[in-house]
Amino acid sequence: MKKLKLVLFLSVLGVGVTAAVIYSGIVNVAADEPHSDLVYWLLEATRENSITKAAENIKVPDLTDPELLLSGGVDYEFMCASCHLKPGQRKSDMSLGLYPTPPNLAVSNDSHEGHEHGDDRQADRNNFWVIKHGIKASGMPAWGKTHDDQRIWAMVAFIKRLPSLTPEQYQILTAIE
Amino acid sequence: MKTGLINTISKIALVLIPTITLSMAATAHDPSMHVKKAEKADCSKMDHSKMDMNDPVAIAMMKKCMQQAEKSNEKMDHSKMDKKMDHSKMKKMDDNNMKKDEHNNH
Ligand code: HEC
Repeated sequence: MKKLKLVLFLSVLGVGVTAAVIYSGIVNVAADEPHSDLVYWLLEATRENSITKAAENIKVPDLTDPELLLSGGVDYEFMCASCHLKPGQRKSDMSLGLYPTPPNLAVSNDSHEGHEHGDDRQADRNNFWVIKHGIKASGMPAWGKTHDDQRIWAMVAFIKRLPSLTPEQYQILTAIE
Repeated sequence: MKTGLINTISKIALVLIPTITLSMAATAHDPSMHVKKAEKADCSKMDHSKMDMNDPVAIAMMKKCMQQAEKSNEKMDHSKMDKKMDHSKMKKMDDNNMKKDEHNNH
């Protein structure tokens, strides 16, 4: 009986605290005010694990076809570079203003901080899934609503090579003609 | 009645005019950043001697620049072209990577 009362008390307390946090407006949602370390860790771990699990059974096609780089390159320049930058570019309105910050996809994975990407294939799968489905409550849109899998794989192939491209190579691959 | 309407309108104006003015000032930073030009590939910057012809990036660049050259073929005066492309320095092309070329598909 005593135990039951304690459990009841604790749950009422929990609901009360949650309600107080929600209704008091104490949580700051401003994008120019970073999360605390704890909240950041919670969100990041949840996101990374969710993506890896959702993507684990996706079959990765051959990504070495040069044609993929041409299709993916043009799409990247017009749909992604404003947020994810390109060789020789360090910042943009979006890369500075968005929070969570869009990772700079023109530098290699090891050098953008805070990320564990596992092996290469899993990284391709994760990228495909993220591009197709987007990420909730971040600036990352779901491109799968307007682009077929083939176009998305081409972008995956392109961002795989992106960190190794010079600005000149990038310009040629992404130009319209 | 009439003064009521005028009052309302001037109140709206009082709010709207500063809002619009201020928001325009906020967007007025370096417009060149927002302009997307449809650029042509700058193929003159390709350095063939450094290109590995087994690399999909190199093959893709060659394809894009060849397509571009084909489009403007009529304008080109081949007799005036100097032979800057030094094929001896290029690694051998790998047939495997060229299979996907659309010319082999028909
Ligand atoms: C409006 C800005 C915006 C645009 C446009 C955008 N993204 Fe993103 N993207 C983001 C943000 C923000 C994140 C990080 C989300 C997070 O950490 O929760 C992200 C994350 C990603 C990731 C995951 C990276 C990682 O290492 O975890 C990939 C891959 C990605 N985007 C690819 C793309 C591609 C490809 C395009 C173009 C088709 C694109 N994005 C367009 C904002 C954008």
